[in-house]
Amino acid sequence: MTGESQYARFGSGKSVRRVEDQALLTGVGIFADDVSLPGQAYVCFLRSPYPHARVVAIDAAAAAAMSGVVAIVTGADLVAAGVKPLPLSIDFKRGDGSPTASPPRHALAVDTVRFVGEAIAAVIAQSAEEARDAAEAIDVRYDALPMVADLDDAVAAGAPLVWPAAMGNASAAAKAFDKAAHVVMLDLVNQRVAPCPIEPRAILASYDKTTGRITLRVSCQTPTGLRDALCAEVLGIANDKVRILVGDVGGGFGMKTGLYPEDVVLAFCARKLERPLKWCAERMEEFLAATHGRDVASKAELALDRSGRILALRVFSLANMGAFATPAGAVIQLMIGPWVSTSIYDIGTIDIRIKAILTNTAPTSAYRGAGRPEAIYIIERLMDAAARQTGIDQIELRRRNMIRPEQMPYSNAMDKTYDSGQFELVMNKATTLARWNGFDARQAEAQRRGRWRGRGMAAFLEWTGADVFDERVTVTVTSGEKNDGEIEIFSALQGMGQGLLTTFAQVIRIVQGDTDRGQGFGSAGSRSLFVGGSAVRVAADRTVAKAKVMAADEMEAAAADIEYRDGVFSIACTDRRIGLFELAHRQPEQRIVLDSTSSVAGPTWPNGCHICEVEIDPDTGAVELVGYWSVNDVGRVVNPMIVIGQLEGGAAQGIGQALCERFVYDRESGQALSATFLDYALPHAGMIEHFEMTMDESTPCLNNAMGVKGVGELGTIGATPAVVNAVMDALARGGRTEVRERAKALQMPLTSERVWRAIRG
Amino acid sequence: MYVFEYQRAKSVADAAAALAKTGGKALAGGQSLVGAMKLRLANPGTLVDIAGIAGLKGIKQEGAAVVIGAMSTHADVASSAVVKKAIPALAALAEGIGDRQVRNRGTIGGSLANNDPAADYPAAVLALGATVQTNKRKIAADEFFKGMYETALGADEIITAVSFPVPKKAAYVKFPNPASRFALVGVFVAQTQSGVRVAVTGAAAHVHRATAIENALAKSFTADAAKAVKIPADHLNTDLHGSAEYRAHLVSVLASRAVTAAG
Repeated sequence: MTGESQYARFGSGKSVRRVEDQALLTGVGIFADDVSLPGQAYVCFLRSPYPHARVVAIDAAAAAAMSGVVAIVTGADLVAAGVKPLPLSIDFKRGDGSPTASPPRHALAVDTVRFVGEAIAAVIAQSAEEARDAAEAIDVRYDALPMVADLDDAVAAGAPLVWPAAMGNASAAAKAFDKAAHVVMLDLVNQRVAPCPIEPRAILASYDKTTGRITLRVSCQTPTGLRDALCAEVLGIANDKVRILVGDVGGGFGMKTGLYPEDVVLAFCARKLERPLKWCAERMEEFLAATHGRDVASKAELALDRSGRILALRVFSLANMGAFATPAGAVIQLMIGPWVSTSIYDIGTIDIRIKAILTNTAPTSAYRGAGRPEAIYIIERLMDAAARQTGIDQIELRRRNMIRPEQMPYSNAMDKTYDSGQFELVMNKATTLARWNGFDARQAEAQRRGRWRGRGMAAFLEWTGADVFDERVTVTVTSGEKNDGEIEIFSALQGMGQGLLTTFAQVIRIVQGDTDRGQGFGSAGSRSLFVGGSAVRVAADRTVAKAKVMAADEMEAAAADIEYRDGVFSIACTDRRIGLFELAHRQPEQRIVLDSTSSVAGPTWPNGCHICEVEIDPDTGAVELVGYWSVNDVGRVVNPMIVIGQLEGGAAQGIGQALCERFVYDRESGQALSATFLDYALPHAGMIEHFEMTMDESTPCLNNAMGVKGVGELGTIGATPAVVNAVMDALARGGRTEVRERAKALQMPLTSERVWRAIRG
Repeated sequence: MYVFEYQRAKSVADAAAALAKTGGKALAGGQSLVGAMKLRLANPGTLVDIAGIAGLKGIKQEGAAVVIGAMSTHADVASSAVVKKAIPALAALAEGIGDRQVRNRGTIGGSLANNDPAADYPAAVLALGATVQTNKRKIAADEFFKGMYETALGADEIITAVSFPVPKKAAYVKFPNPASRFALVGVFVAQTQSGVRVAVTGAAAHVHRATAIENALAKSFTADAAKAVKIPADHLNTDLHGSAEYRAHLVSVLASRAVTAAG
């Protein structure tokens, strides 16, 4: 990192090529499974084939005698050794004030299994295949129990273990609905999806007898949180007894934010056996045992007056928590989603009631967007339905209800304050970009080809930051051989493919992923740049300020007279100067170190308008995405190429939810029907060839010094309603009243058969 | 993957002897078998690799037929000048199988011996009235496909080549499963020297002929004639990706499109 040209190359606002890609694309990245230790043994988890069963007996004698087997550990062994269950989210109160409940989640099931794929025993062997062979030889006797996998069944069956949370103002909303000129109602299902990062979870655990410390090399977005939960809540040891290392991470999407049972088992067994242990999940294990996203069914209503002004929003939802209420899972549905439920619209009265339901399925937790896609899907579907029902143009209806710039800062009905936003400006730019007025000609042309063309819009905002607004950064300037050296910045933020190194390096060089070097919340909730980047920038400024004092000392001048530019300190109006690395060299330890923790003032509210056009083949019901345009307010942009990449990747996942992705449990048996990529349909390249993503930088965020807003989840949130609205539009056109009515009941994913049935009746 | 023995055969006779002796399985391109082994769904004990046997590759025109060696990859067939000229529908079908990696490894013999209910090649073999040549005999397409993953092949019987009579016109149209990209339904329509033949893959337990559509097309080889045929949904597959009723509907729609594509 020397030379002025490099500083210029890394200037903020430029589409700098990603510095991490050379290693990642040539196979020399270091993922958790790429690291091995001498003498390491391998772990295989035996998993429950039952959705709900009592565990009568586990006979591992034959398995333990098999070739290569080192040890077999069960839930009872962990309990006997004092290992506690994993932390859960049971702090919520029910509507009547009574406490909520979830069964305890042991790292290995004790007595009862509660979903297909729950780990019940761990086999440790000399090789991964020997561990698998032995796991198959363990004889478990189960006593099957009644199960429920489906939300409707869970409620109808007398609702075992349910906890409601009521919010908003029910009576005011009821009055608003009573006097409304128009009431629009939709039943909406936000189906369960699997996050599917390309790198499955992997763990390398080791134990140092002399220091009594466990080291876990994991694939994780939030290493500090993992360490603290593991130490304090599960193993009952001091936080400094565990070190978490994270190398390259092949995607997280929220799925890698929590402590998992496998982390506990590897840490415990590595210490007990005093031997390094390796586990890398297979794809099917990830489908079965990693957390899923979404799975919310809602009855949503909008009350409007005669002019189309929204009087109230009312939403009753059932949220599927899976078999255990994970810490993030409940928060996402019960808190974060409702925070953005009124989106960019000035809606003063809301009534939102959500019941969090336990079922015999894998736990749900964070997935890109986390609560906000569900909420925005509801309001944007309602806006289009309201436009159709009232006869008011959909753009005009949105415009009439938007929060205006002069209302900023604006507190929404959930008492969340938006710092900035010009929603109408963004929508107007998007309609221009999408050549909104040329649609009729495109539709007519499609009609001649026998295709039904439709267009849809989502104008929306989201909240970012995971509600943790500070981050610690350590800056170390070290001198090298000559007039060079290295600037290292350490933080707990974690790149996982999104190009964080590049973005931060447009400020400086970064090290990440070691809880011994620094702690912090990590990377989730679109917070890395606006919280972490801001912290990096503050730390850089503080380093320069500290070094100015040192430079003043060296050059025998007043610190106030020292100027800093491109790595060089100089005395104003003179030719006296000293380089940063030379200055570091002259310090007693040949380096300058600064430890800085800083905060931003609050969350950011990125927003956008996404417009999509689709064509339906009426003979087959197949939906083809033929155009996609968006304008996004993400505040100031550090690296446009990376921001566009985030928008496109995010939108691809949103399109996947709209058109093809769904994780399905059989309603009768509780078995997973989509646990391989032969049945779990990810979006493919042909669906995303028409992206035109743009940014509007005219509204910087006021809550951080850089003026940046989060971007990681924006595309995912906007794409789903934009695509579904486009399909609904295509089905509603052409005077096909019956098709339009049937289409109202359509739910995601909009598979060709579902669309065909809406067309055919 | 369970532990297994690997043997590389030098000749078809070698391979047949090894299969008879070990009760193992022949390994061609491995695009289905190896995947099943990795999932521990297959435990063959011994794999006899036949991909390297000289003489099992190659594509040539023999009179009114195109003969394709069993170990020809999908990519070989897709890019073959002989196939493109004589039976362009077959080259296009091969080009649409799986992805590039699969096409570079997977073989026509392997695909037919596996007889996946949603594979593409069985539809071509059945609709074109091809003949499957093995180390023991010649098997007509109508006699070859016996059930789900079941064929007329014996335990030590190895496909050596497939002979496709050149049709007057033909086309294959596939509606892909959104996840696997295998055929949710695929329909191969051929106007052969001995009449119209229509084969359907993906819709049922194994590839089969759609005789109702064949009869309609024999009277009038038009898209409308195919589309007008109502296919009964009995015996068709229902799964996550499509009901039997939807698949039945797709058979007529895709057949009509294949007629149009055949020109």
